[in-house]
Order: sequence, then structure tokens, then C-alpha cells
Amino acid sequence: MNILKYISLCLLIVVSGCGKGKKDTGYLTETRNKISRAERLSIVQKDGWTEVKIIDPWQGANGVKQVYYLAKRGSRLPEWMDSSAVIFVPVQKMICMSTTHVAMITALGEENSLAGVSGINFIYSPSVLRNAEKGLVADVGYEANLNKELIIKISPDLIMIYGIGSESSGYLGKIRELGIKVIINADYLETDPLGRAEWIKLFGALYSKDNLADSLFNSEEDAYTRLKSLIIKSVTIRPKVMLGLPFKDTWFISPGNSFISNLISDAGGDYLWKDTKSPVSMPYGIENVYIRGLKADYWLNISSVKNRKEITSVDPRLDDFPCFKNDNLFNNNKRITEKGGNDFWESGALHPHLLLKDIATILHPEIFPGNELMYYKKID
Amino acid sequence: MKTAVRKDLTNEINSGRKARLIFICLFLLLILFLILDIFLGSVNIKPSEVIGAFFNNSHTGFQTIILKFRLPKAITALTVGIALSLSGLQMQTVFRNPMAGPYVLGISSGASLGVAFVILGFSSTITPESLTGFGNWILVAASWVGAGAVMLLIMVISSKVKDIMTVLILGIMLSSGISAVVTIMQYFSNETLLKAYVIWTMGSLGNLTVNQLNVLLISVSAGIILSLFSSKMLNALLLGENYAGSIGLNVRFARAVIFICTSILAGSVTAFCGPIGFIGIAVPHIVRILFKTSDHKILIPGTILMGGAVMLASDILSQLPGSETVLPINAVTSLIGIPVVIWVILRNRQYSDSF
Repeated sequence: MNILKYISLCLLIVVSGCGKGKKDTGYLTETRNKISRAERLSIVQKDGWTEVKIIDPWQGANGVKQVYYLAKRGSRLPEWMDSSAVIFVPVQKMICMSTTHVAMITALGEENSLAGVSGINFIYSPSVLRNAEKGLVADVGYEANLNKELIIKISPDLIMIYGIGSESSGYLGKIRELGIKVIINADYLETDPLGRAEWIKLFGALYSKDNLADSLFNSEEDAYTRLKSLIIKSVTIRPKVMLGLPFKDTWFISPGNSFISNLISDAGGDYLWKDTKSPVSMPYGIENVYIRGLKADYWLNISSVKNRKEITSVDPRLDDFPCFKNDNLFNNNKRITEKGGNDFWESGALHPHLLLKDIATILHPEIFPGNELMYYKKID
Repeated sequence: MKTAVRKDLTNEINSGRKARLIFICLFLLLILFLILDIFLGSVNIKPSEVIGAFFNNSHTGFQTIILKFRLPKAITALTVGIALSLSGLQMQTVFRNPMAGPYVLGISSGASLGVAFVILGFSSTITPESLTGFGNWILVAASWVGAGAVMLLIMVISSKVKDIMTVLILGIMLSSGISAVVTIMQYFSNETLLKAYVIWTMGSLGNLTVNQLNVLLISVSAGIILSLFSSKMLNALLLGENYAGSIGLNVRFARAVIFICTSILAGSVTAFCGPIGFIGIAVPHIVRILFKTSDHKILIPGTILMGGAVMLASDILSQLPGSETVLPINAVTSLIGIPVVIWVILRNRQYSDSF
């Protein structure tokens, strides 16, 4: 009798425990992470605030989680919440360190909130450049040469940086101390092209434009998947692709698990180093790349090269490649500014389906007859 | 009395025989490393294919790798090793300072400054792409002038300050100062030129065009010939300037010759391969220990053989044969050179007797 009593009591506790959990989830509006593709981002809508987690925000980070609480301006927040992690939205004044951030802000129509960038010369967006001309966007420098006084003068709500590892906390410590919020954006570490584009949802949350950001991403995802399946259906042979340029006698090779490798594979190409795996670019000996590169049908992303002569001036031996002789050279610098801004690194991150279409058009012109390239151009 | 003379004589004959043996060994070592450098690399090529490449009798890709990549690189390594080691030997004698060397005393930095002026300074007239043919001579001449200017400065300093460690510290200060000037130049130069310069500063042996290799070979050969003639002067200078003057050597002339010779050797290498560290300082010490002499008639040929062999070995190591990755050559030469330098510093008290 006693035993039965105990068992029923235990059961009761277990059941009530479950019930409580269920009740909690029911009470909250939504606890689902709304991020599906990006591996290093999680956004969860809680009651009264949005919890943003940036996972392993820099190269080589393992098990690092940075949590931020996004809340409406003036809303009351629970006491346990670390106020230094609270960001009030919509953000009204932001400084960005990467061009991809600028693209996403522009896509949401919030370029007027952009008060500073790192290296105005690298910006492509005409509207941001116009603002810069009017003196509305400042150049705050880069890394160790960051102009802290200028940042303090601007006093933005938020600085968005990209992960430079533990060092970054050092040079931004002073700024955090002054109450300016810093958030690390890890979009450039995403290897899935759609994963990188999904980071627009972070900006959506920051500007309280979640619906716009979601719909922009959904149409992007839709376009990319449709294009990808069309390519897979139509492709019979996969041309071999090589990338980059040597640095003296070292050639940094993007590994097979990189963003560009995934893009080439989705575009029906056969990247020559697709079987390699590494978190960073790998320094290969030039002779090694040379021998494999002899098999390449196409040569893409050739640094900042604009003509054939620039390739041979880097190393005259590079003209031996069959793809060089056959004129199959394409570079991602069709949309550039005079000073060095390249839209491939800006809006390209937000429009992977356009990148995919470009590369697929290069490798399989028969699938997209008459399609004009957007970010890429032929090198002659 | 008579026996003592005879003993001296046999000693000399013995040591002469020993020196000859070491010379033969060093020469064989040099040839061995030269062959290994061509046979080993990040691509595995069968020895038969390597030999076939020279007789137009092998896979075309492999043939290109052997003839266009490995052979010029091996010749460059050999030349660079000889040039840097010789200039190190001459500097150590002229300054009577075991710590002297083109890298440590800032001669390489001076050459960098010359190159920076060419690449970054005259952006409107000379672009990196136009530096072919005659442009290579402009680059190398700027490098000589930069190296020479620093040499001159160090010489003035060392004539005023006798303490070798002080001169060394001043050399380090000088090269830091020059780096600061170059940094400022970089800061104000445009992106493409900056990139050209940054790529240049990463020491490398494998990127010389045939044209550049010719310029390097001609200028280093001139330097080597000049140094072969300078062994008597160096021997005299080693015994002190007063002594050198008393045996009828024109000290000023001797210094000028060695000065020009060192600037040509260190400057030419730096112009095309970037600053390569610690070979120039370490190799002469290894040679002195090996031959147990301070006679430059032996040290100069010994340094030529040893310098070439060490640089070839460094190049083989930097290719990490069998793996696809390569190491920067500068890292390898530093790892080889620094232990020697530390060893010299630690036993400096006994060692400085030979200066």
C-alpha cells in the first residue's frame, strides 16, 4: 500500500513537471529558433524580448555563445537580465565593420541609420556613398587603427563587428566600457550560401523589421533552391574549376567545405579541391596547385585581376594553364567602384541565387542562354 | 728550436689536409642538397620522371615543374645562400663583431627602404607591372643604395663606439626606425602598390622571373669575385686597423671595397627575394667552427659552400616534401640561424678573441 502510494506520488510529480513545461511553452508566444540555414545564429522570440545567440562568432571558436536580448525601447525587463547584453530596438544609429552588413542594412531600407563604416573606399552601395559625401557616414578606421574618439563622438546605439578572435575584445573593451553595445557578426564564417544570406534576420530583429527580413530571405531561399534543382536536372558534365592567385610561391586554397566551394558544386561545377576540409584557407605549394590546375576548365575569383596581363605579371608561368589559353577566365569584379569597393562582397552575400546563376551561366551557358552576368565578368 | 719549427710545419700540413677534406665534404653536401632540392617538392615526382624532364622525355606538367619551378628556385637558393653568407662574413670582419650580419644590423631593412621608394614612392611613373627588363635593375640599384646607406651609418657609429653590443643594439634601433618609415609610406600609398610591396616583403625564392634571375646572378657573381680578391684585406683588417696600416694596406680603400661588395651581395638578394633572416650571421660562424681558423683564404670559399648548402637545405625543408603545404622560407632560416646566434652570444667571451 505504502509502495503504491510512493509510486503514485512520484508519477504525480513527473506528470505535473511535464505539465508545467508544456504550460510554459504555451504561455510564450514562440520559442522556436527562426533560423534554419545559418549555423552560427539563433533568434528566439520570447515574451517581451528577442533572444539572439551568436554561436562561435570567430574563426576557431569552439563552444562560445554570445547572448543578446533585443527589447523595445522603454520596455521593462526582468532583473536577471545582464543590462550590458540588452540592445534596445529599433536601432537608430549603427556603425558597421563589414560590407556585408552594409548590404543587409540597405536591403531593409535603413541606410540612413548607418553612421560609420570601416573603410569607406570598400563600400559599393550608391546610397551609402551619397550619405558619406554629405558627411552622414564616417570612416572609423579598422582593427588596431580604429578611431575610438570618432566612434565616441558618433555615439551609436550599436557597433557591428566581425570576429577577429579574442583580440577584438581588447580593442573594443574601452568602447563597451562607455556603454556602446558591440555585437559580433559571424556571417562570413557561414559556408552555406543561404546560411550567410539568412543573417539578414539579425538585422530584421535589430530594426524591428522581422517580417520584411523574413520575406526577403524566404524569396531568396526559394529562388536558390529552384535554381539549384534546375541546374542539377540539366547538368550532364561538371567542368573542373580552380580559384585564386598565388602569393609568391604559396597559393592559398579555399577548402572543399567553404562558401565558394559549395556555390560551385551547386552551380554544376567540379571544384578541384572539393575533397579538402579545413576551417581556413590552406597554404599550398605553387607547384602542387600548378599540377592540379592543369586539369581546370575554368578559373574563377582571380583576386582583383582585371586583364590577362595582370595574371602573368604575378607569375609568368601561370599562362601554361589550359583554362588561361582557352580564355576561360572569369572574375567577380564586374560591379566595382573606382576606389576598390566590390558589390560581390556586399550585396552578393544577400543574393546567393544571383551568385549561383552567374557561376552556372559561366560553367553551363547552354542552360541560361542569353543570361547576362551580374557580378562576374570575363577576363580578356 | 728546430723541432719546434718542424712541429709547426707538420701541424700546418695536417690542418691543410684537414681543410681540404672539409672542403670536399662541403662540396659534396652542396651538390647533394642541390640535387635533392630539384628531386623533392610538394608534388611527388618519380626520380625517373625528374631525370626525364631534362631530356624532354616526361609528362609535360612534371617537366614544367622541374624546369620552370624547381630548377630556378634551386639556383636562386644557391645564389642567395652564398650572397648572404659572404656579406655576413665580411661584415663580421670589418666591424670586428661576431653579431654582424645583413639582417641583424639593418642592412636588409635599408635595402627594403630602397625598394619601398621604388614600389611605393614613384607611383605615378613606375608601376609594379612595369618593373620588368630594365626595371629590375632600378629595383636592385635602389636596394644597393639603401643597403649602402645603412652600412655607412653603421660604420660611422662603430668607429665612434667600440662596444660590439652597443653597435648591435643601435643596428636593431636603426632597422626598427627604417621599418617605421616604411610603415608610414605604406599608410599613404594606394592599395595595389601596397599589395605589391607587402608581397615583396615576404621573403621567397620561387617567384623570380628568368630576367630577374639573370640580374641576381650577374650582380652576385660580381660580388663573389670581388670578395675572392678581398681575402688578404680581410685578414689584415682582422688584426686591427693599425696593424693593417703598418703592413702597407690602404685601410680606407680596403674598407670601401668590402663595403661595396657587401652592399651588392645583400642588396641584390633583398631586392628580389625580400629580407631573408639569420643566414648571413649564422653561416660564417658554422664555417669558423668547422675549419677552426680565421684565415679568410679558407673562410671565404668555406662560406660560399656552406652558405649555398644551408640555404638549399632550408628550401627543401620549407617545401615539406610529401605534404601539400609549404612554409615561408624566412621561418625556416630563422629556426636554423637563431640557435647558432644564441650559442655565439652565450660563449661570446672566449669567442670574441678571434676578432
